[in-house]
Amino acid sequence: MPDFLMEPFMQRALLMALALGPACGLLGVFVTARRMSFFSDTIAHSALTGVAAGFLAGFEDPTLPVLSFCIMVAVTMLWLRERTRLLNDTIMAVLLSVSVAMGVILLSLQRNRWAELDKYLLGDVLSVGWSDVAWAAAAAVAVTVAVLASLNPLALLAAHEDLAHVSGARVRLLNYGFVILLTLAVSLSIRALGILLVTSMVVLPPATARMLVHTLRAHVLLTVAFGLTGAVGGVLLSYPLNLPTGPTVTMTFGALFAASLLVARLRSPARP
Amino acid sequence: MTPGASNARPAPAAIEVHDARVRLGDTDVLRGVNLRVPMGQMVALIGPNGSGKTTLLRCLLGLQRLDAGNVRILGEPVGPKVLRRVGYVPQRLPLDPSFALCVREFLALRRPDTRLWFFRRTRATDDILLRHAPGLGMEPLLSRPLSGLSGGQLQRVLIAYSLLGDPELLLLDEPTAGVDTPGEQDFYQLIGDVHARLGITIVLVSHDLGMVFRRASWVYALNGVICCEGRPEEVINANSLKAAYGIHVTPYHHHHHSHAPVPPEGVPITLHRR
Ligand SMILES: Nc1ncnc2c1ncn2[C@@H]1O[C@H](COP(=O)(O)OP(=O)(O)O)[C@@H](O)[C@H]1O
Ligand SMILES: [Mg+2]
Repeated sequence: MPDFLMEPFMQRALLMALALGPACGLLGVFVTARRMSFFSDTIAHSALTGVAAGFLAGFEDPTLPVLSFCIMVAVTMLWLRERTRLLNDTIMAVLLSVSVAMGVILLSLQRNRWAELDKYLLGDVLSVGWSDVAWAAAAAVAVTVAVLASLNPLALLAAHEDLAHVSGARVRLLNYGFVILLTLAVSLSIRALGILLVTSMVVLPPATARMLVHTLRAHVLLTVAFGLTGAVGGVLLSYPLNLPTGPTVTMTFGALFAASLLVARLRSPARP
Repeated sequence: MTPGASNARPAPAAIEVHDARVRLGDTDVLRGVNLRVPMGQMVALIGPNGSGKTTLLRCLLGLQRLDAGNVRILGEPVGPKVLRRVGYVPQRLPLDPSFALCVREFLALRRPDTRLWFFRRTRATDDILLRHAPGLGMEPLLSRPLSGLSGGQLQRVLIAYSLLGDPELLLLDEPTAGVDTPGEQDFYQLIGDVHARLGITIVLVSHDLGMVFRRASWVYALNGVICCEGRPEEVINANSLKAAYGIHVTPYHHHHHSHAPVPPEGVPITLHRR
């Protein structure tokens, strides 16, 4: 075993990747199907305000303030979508830009915290503590159990919301539950990938798998496999290559995507 | 007069709508709809585009709240309990091609007894699916991706899906939108067969009158209110339909036949807003 695998910081980083890669992918299957990629990006960006407000309120570890603020933004988005006639994209663009601006301003008020900006924008998985690992593991278990237990209604909801309602699915509960799980996974993954890149872990694995399969069963299985490979592989590669970990994970997802595109093209040149 | 009127006691109604009113944005889409559909009939709900047909169906399914009035289906107020006995074929399935779902997986979502752990494929699942939706040509489609079907195939899959719930009432919204003209004939044949075999109540929503003559026993014409109802040959010639609501009927303006005018196959008669 290479020496660097014995380092506790590396073990923590690998455990984070092991927990969050597959969980984000699992959610991503439905995020991509329901065109919610931008939603996930908006939640990620709102984390900046959570971080800054957390520091300002005296939290050493901003995980809880980030989670609460992101869930607040997510629920606001759902609420605005139900109550106003604004387009989804518009609502999200408003919330995204306002939370980034507010986060930067709140951070600028605390000069000693300014250096933290990079850590949250770009991620720094090699600096996570055991409490971060525990949060990630808990989130991964919650996501896996909830998604697998409600796979049928979630699939129906993605296929046709009205049909899901008529077939007896509890549409509103599912919508809110799904968004809260997504928020949990995305905001905890920010420590690994950073605000700028965290959506790649949600969107790239399902997109990669989608080109190779056409059943939901195969899509879910392959997405989880890609999520795991990309996240753990990226962390492993970043150390010997001496590259920043978050971007290396995203590049690994990108490489898998390109390979899958190539395989799909070779199998059937007519289709993308 | 309604189809059940000759009986001494009225048959229980599959659908009862009393003074339903719905306002969407600045439009009064439904302005006091009254409707009674007896059990076991195959009826049509017609009207020009924008006349509120989809909105009325959504009210029947609990997808649209009424501003006033009330709706009962199968003798009960609309709710999750009674919706279990209702099949619905939506106007469109706006399925995102990035969602991977094959026909087998989609159909299995309708039945608890096929919700196998994680969509495992088994002979038993296929048997259940084919037994409860016979005559729809599902077998060769089961492994096909839902996003790669033609309009006609998708329409048949949606009907199979609705029949898998063993419905007593089947609501179809513009079922031939996206189906080519020869496909339409097969399609109405298929719905007619379903009606003959199961004897359930079927409501066909359409702006196309051609099929109404051959299939429906009763027609409701909607334009914010039910402006006219009756047997197909009565409705299509009703002056009230033309005059009161600005609708006229083409191409059968006049006819001198003693029996009902049956349009040639494949020629739709369409209601237009004047
Ligand atoms: N969400 C909505 N907001 C505002 N107006 C709507 C909405 N949905 C439908 N409408 C309007 O309601 C009217 C009836 O629509 P619809 O029930 O779909 O008619 P149909 O199915 O007969 O073509 C149309 O004029 C349409 O523009
Ligand atoms: Mg319509």
